[in-house]
Amino acid sequence: MTDSQTVLALLMTPLLSAVIIACFLRRRGTLASIVSVAAAAGICVFTVMAISGSGGEVIRVSANWLQFGDFKVSMGFFFDGVAMTMLTMVAFVGFLIHVFSLGYMAKDKARGRYFGGMSIFMFSMLGIILAENLIMIFVFWELVGFSSYMLIAHYFDTEKAKAASKKAFIVNRIGDLGFLVGIAYAYWHFGTTNLEVMRSAVGANPALIDWTIAALLMCGFIGKSAQFPLHVWLPDAMAGPTPVSALIHAATLVAAGVYFLIRITFLFPDSVLNYIAVLGTGVAVYAGFCAYAQNDIKKILAYSTLSQLGYASAAFGLGAPGIALFHLITHAFFKALLFLGAGTVIHGCHHEQNIFKMGGLLKRMPVTSVTFLIGMLALLGFSFFGTFGFAGFYSKDAILIEARFESKYLFALLIGGAFLTAGYMGRLYWTAFLGKPKSEAAANARENSIIMIVPLIILAFFSVVGGWIEFWPQELGGIIREDIAHQENNEDYEHLHHTVLILGSAAWIVGLLGSMVFYGIGAKEDRLKQTVRPLYALLKSRLLIDELYDYYVAKVQQRFAVLLSFLDVFLIKGVLVRGSAGVVGLVGTCSRLLHVGSIHAYVYWFLAGLILFWVLATGVSF
Amino acid sequence: MTVGLNAFILVAGLLFAVGLLGVILRQNTLVIYMSLEMMLNAVNLALVAFSRYNGTMDGNLFVFFIITVAAAEVAVGLAIIVALFKWRQTVMVDRLNVLSR
Repeated sequence: MTDSQTVLALLMTPLLSAVIIACFLRRRGTLASIVSVAAAAGICVFTVMAISGSGGEVIRVSANWLQFGDFKVSMGFFFDGVAMTMLTMVAFVGFLIHVFSLGYMAKDKARGRYFGGMSIFMFSMLGIILAENLIMIFVFWELVGFSSYMLIAHYFDTEKAKAASKKAFIVNRIGDLGFLVGIAYAYWHFGTTNLEVMRSAVGANPALIDWTIAALLMCGFIGKSAQFPLHVWLPDAMAGPTPVSALIHAATLVAAGVYFLIRITFLFPDSVLNYIAVLGTGVAVYAGFCAYAQNDIKKILAYSTLSQLGYASAAFGLGAPGIALFHLITHAFFKALLFLGAGTVIHGCHHEQNIFKMGGLLKRMPVTSVTFLIGMLALLGFSFFGTFGFAGFYSKDAILIEARFESKYLFALLIGGAFLTAGYMGRLYWTAFLGKPKSEAAANARENSIIMIVPLIILAFFSVVGGWIEFWPQELGGIIREDIAHQENNEDYEHLHHTVLILGSAAWIVGLLGSMVFYGIGAKEDRLKQTVRPLYALLKSRLLIDELYDYYVAKVQQRFAVLLSFLDVFLIKGVLVRGSAGVVGLVGTCSRLLHVGSIHAYVYWFLAGLILFWVLATGVSF
Repeated sequence: MTVGLNAFILVAGLLFAVGLLGVILRQNTLVIYMSLEMMLNAVNLALVAFSRYNGTMDGNLFVFFIITVAAAEVAVGLAIIVALFKWRQTVMVDRLNVLSR
C-alpha cells in the first residue's frame, strides 16, 4: 500500500465497522463489540504503518468532491507532524477505551448501538485530524457532534441523559454557527479554505490576517472544547456511559477544539490570541472552583477536564501551540485513566457515583486505586523535585513557564488553578478511596475483570512516561519540541524555571495536604458545605450561568418567540393567508349566485348582456 | 287602402315581444322553442316590410337565409328535445336544473 492508501484505509476502517454494525449487528451485541474493537485495533495498526511509512514527511491527498462553477470543495488529507501526534494519541487511547468498554458494557442490552456509535465517533474524529480544508473539518466536526449526541443519550430511558444529549447538541450548534460563518468569510477572503494554501498566503502577506475570521472560527472551538460561555454542556454530558465520558468528553472530542486551533494557528492575530489566553485561564480557575461543590465522581472529573482544557487554550493563546498540543496529549492519557478508573469504581459499587457514599476502596479495589492515584498525580503535575515527573508535570510546567514569560497575572491565576486542582482531586481521593466504606455498595465493592484492569495499567504506564518527549518517536511531536526549545533558548529560562518549579510544586503539595487537613480522611460529609454554606451554595450554583441561560431562554427568548408566533398567527396566517383565501372565496360565492342552473335566469342574464352591449355600442356614456 | 310600414313594424314588434315573453315565462321547452321561432319570424316580417318599402331585394335575401337556417336549427333542436325527454322523462325547464347542483 502507498502511504495515501494507508491513510485512507485508516479513515475508512471505523466507518466500515459502523456500517456493518448498523446494517447487520444491531441485535447481536457480542459480535458488534468484536467488530468495533477490531476496527479500533485496525486504526492503531494503520496509524503505525502510516507514520513509519511517511518517515516524518507530510502526506497530502486531495480529491475533488463538489464543484459548482468556480466553487470547488475538495476532500483530502493533510497528514503532517501535528496530525500524526494527535492521531497516535486518539488511536491509542481510543483502542484502550474500546477494550475497557468490552468489560464495562458487557451486560448492557444495547451494546450494538453503543459500539456502532463508538466506531462512528472514531471515524469522525479521525476525519477532523486528517482534514486538509476547513469545509472538510466542518463536515467531520458535525459528525463528531452527532456521535457525541448519540452516545450521551445511550441511556435514553432516563430524563437526565435525554436532556444532557440535547443540551450538548444545541450548545455546540451555537458555536458552530460562528464556525460556519467563519468558513464562509475565510473562503471569501482567501479564495480557498485549504489549510496549506491559506498558510502560505498568510506567510507571504501577514496583512491578510483578519481578526474577524479568527474570532468566528474560535466560536467553533469554544463550543467543542467547552470553553466559557458554552461550557455548560460538558458536566451534563456525564450522563452517558463512563467509557464514553473517557473517550469523548475527556480525551478526544473536547481536545478536537484545541487541535483545530493548532491547525489554524497562522490565522490568529495577537488580539484574538490574547483573548483566548485570558479566556482559557479564566476557565481553568472557574472550573477548579466549581469542582468543589460536586459530589458525583464523574462531574468532578468533568470540571477537571474543563479546567485542563483551559490550560491548553491558555498555552495556545500565549503563542505556544506546541505546548497546547503537548498538554492535550498528556491530558488525554491521565484523564482517560481517571475516567476509566471512575468507571471501574462505579461499576464495582453498583452504579453509586456519590463520593461521600464510597470510601475504603483502596483495600477493596487496589489496582484501580493505585492507577487512579497515578493518574491523579499526573494531573497535578507530580515530580521528584523537578528531576523526574509524571506526564502532566512536563506539559503543565511548560505552560506555566510560557505564562510567566508573557504575563505575571495569568501566571498567578494558573498557579492558583493548579492549587485548586490539587485541592478538589485530594478531596475526591481522600473521601472515596480512603477511610471506611460509607454505604453497602462500597463495602461490597470488588475489583473488576481483567479486561477492565489492563487498560488502566497501560494508561497508568503512559501517564507516568508520556511526558518524556525525548523518548517519543522522531516523527511525533515536532511542534512540541520546537516550542520547548524556543522556551529554553530564552535567556531568563534557568532563573524562571526555578521559580516556576517551586511555585508549581508548592501549589499541588499545599493543595493536596490542605484538602486532607480540611476534609479529613474518609469524610462522611462535605466540610465546606457544613462550615461555609453560602460559599458552597455559590460554587454549587456554578456562578448561576446555567440559571442565566434558563432565564434567558424562558424569559427573553421565549417572550420574543411568543411575539413572533403572534405575528405569525395574526399577520401571516390570519391576514395574509386567510385574508386572501377569504377574498377569493367571496368572489367564488358571488359568482356561484349567478350560476343557478335555471334556464330562465340565464335568459335574463343574456338579456342584461345584450342591453349592456347595446349601451356600449350606441356610445351612451355614464 | 294601403297598409303602412308602421303597421308592419307594429305587428313584427308585437310578435317579437310575445316570443320573448314566451321564452322568458314558459316552462315547457317545446313552447320556448316555438316562441324562439316566433321571434325569428317577427324579424322576417320586419325585413320583408323594409324590403318592400325600400324597393330592394336585400331584405328578402336575408329572409331566405333565415328560413333555411331556422329549418335546419329546428331539425337539430327538436332532436335534442326528444333526446332530453328520453333521458329525463320531462322537458320542463324548472326540472332541468342539474347544473345548479
